[in-house]
Amino acid sequence: MGTTGWIVIGVVVVLVLWGILLYNGLVAGRNQVEAAWRQIDVQLKRRRDLIPNLVETVKGYMGYEQETLQAVIKARNAAVAAEGGPREGQIQAEAALGATLGRLFALAESYPDLKANQNAMQLQEELTSTENKIAFSRQHYNDSVMAQNTRVESFPAVLVAGPLGFGKHPYFEAGDQDREVPQVKLR
Amino acid sequence: MAADSAAPPTGLSRTDFLAAIRRNRRNTALLCILLTLIGVVVGAGIGWAYGILIDETGTGEGAGDYALYAGGFMLLFSLVWTAVALFLGDKLVLGLTGARAVAKEDAPVLWNVVEEMALAAGLPMPQVAIMETDALNAFATGLKPEKATVAVTRGLLDALSRDELQGVVAHEMSHIANDDVLYMTAVGVLVGLIVLVSDLALRSTRFVGWGGGGHGRRSSGDRKGGGGLVVIAILVLLLIGLLSPVAARLVQMAVSRQREYLADATSVKLTRNPLGLIGALRKLDQATARFDNASKAVQHLFIVNPFRKFGEHASALMATHPSIEQRIERLRALG
Repeated sequence: MGTTGWIVIGVVVVLVLWGILLYNGLVAGRNQVEAAWRQIDVQLKRRRDLIPNLVETVKGYMGYEQETLQAVIKARNAAVAAEGGPREGQIQAEAALGATLGRLFALAESYPDLKANQNAMQLQEELTSTENKIAFSRQHYNDSVMAQNTRVESFPAVLVAGPLGFGKHPYFEAGDQDREVPQVKLR
Repeated sequence: MAADSAAPPTGLSRTDFLAAIRRNRRNTALLCILLTLIGVVVGAGIGWAYGILIDETGTGEGAGDYALYAGGFMLLFSLVWTAVALFLGDKLVLGLTGARAVAKEDAPVLWNVVEEMALAAGLPMPQVAIMETDALNAFATGLKPEKATVAVTRGLLDALSRDELQGVVAHEMSHIANDDVLYMTAVGVLVGLIVLVSDLALRSTRFVGWGGGGHGRRSSGDRKGGGGLVVIAILVLLLIGLLSPVAARLVQMAVSRQREYLADATSVKLTRNPLGLIGALRKLDQATARFDNASKAVQHLFIVNPFRKFGEHASALMATHPSIEQRIERLRALG
């Protein structure tokens, strides 16, 4: 009886310790995903803030591209509206904005006057870098999501993750047009 | 980009840097403990040999105590010296290389590139610094990602395209993410201490060899077996003096070269663009401007060794970095 009791106690202690480690791992993973998302958020906000300035600067040079400029502004406003809403909606709105910005950059290539404008070039470096930062923080977000989703779906964590409130996180997928964003050449 | 994370084109499956850092910390601690133990053994060996050599009775009875004292001294000294190096290391490195911290307005492109790579690695934004020289080089320092600095030379900034600069900065960011600064500082100190002590042992054999040898001849009549012990003691000193520094340096340099390969690979994992780093390494290889400000003490921190002319000698066992051809070859395999 005594021996059995000790064995039961030992098994319970091991199980509790294992549960604590598992739970802490899941929490750490979820926090990493959240932190990664906030990083994207910061960059997306920066892009939304830079756009009115960019449109204002290029308007004079690209008078014939009203349609594209309008599309950019419209996509930007849609992205602003999606802010704070469900994450899937934000991801869609931002992907659409990225695609229209890509079209604008591609068109800007054929305006040599624009390249002589110091202010426009600085804005372009800022926007190019912001696009890069979005891409890189998205890469980090997706890496973190993959690690966390693997953790949540793995056995035996999969048995307890759901009841404890740990779900799968959505990947930040790039839209089809977004993938073909032409690289802006600075040098 | 999302597709990238599902199936990394680099062939590198590990993308969770924060987990990789934790793993690296553990390995670092293990290697440092091992090096400290080697240092203690070297110290104890020297102490024992001295105990034999200065022993008048010829029985070698007190030698064990000397071994204990010398080993203990090495342990204490290793700990103190490592602590001091880790504590002062950052400022020392920045001072030795003449790197000057800059603000975003001073170098917007560099700043942006560093910020992009920090985001890719999921690490906090490091300090950005520039070294005013025409030489092409870069280094990272900082024991923790929270207190890191990425420094590049003016020549590098002028010569490289944005993509190439990104490859170099990603390499430096990888050193930070992989905890290489902490690692190489601690290893450097421990190896340096072993080299110093064994050098002392080697010098003293000449001294003891003459003095002790004469002493041994004079009293050879009353000592039985003592002469043999003295010979063994001198042999131990010689062995320690000749072998341990070479072995320690070989380990250090091998580790340093592996760390460079790892940083190259991690760099590609961050940028997902091996061509940038390959192009940068080519330009670094062909650059002729010398880096006069660099110090031997920090050579292992740079992206390419500022003292070594690369080429046929670069694969030597005592090199801090692999040859650029070998690095490019491995990067090609990643792409």
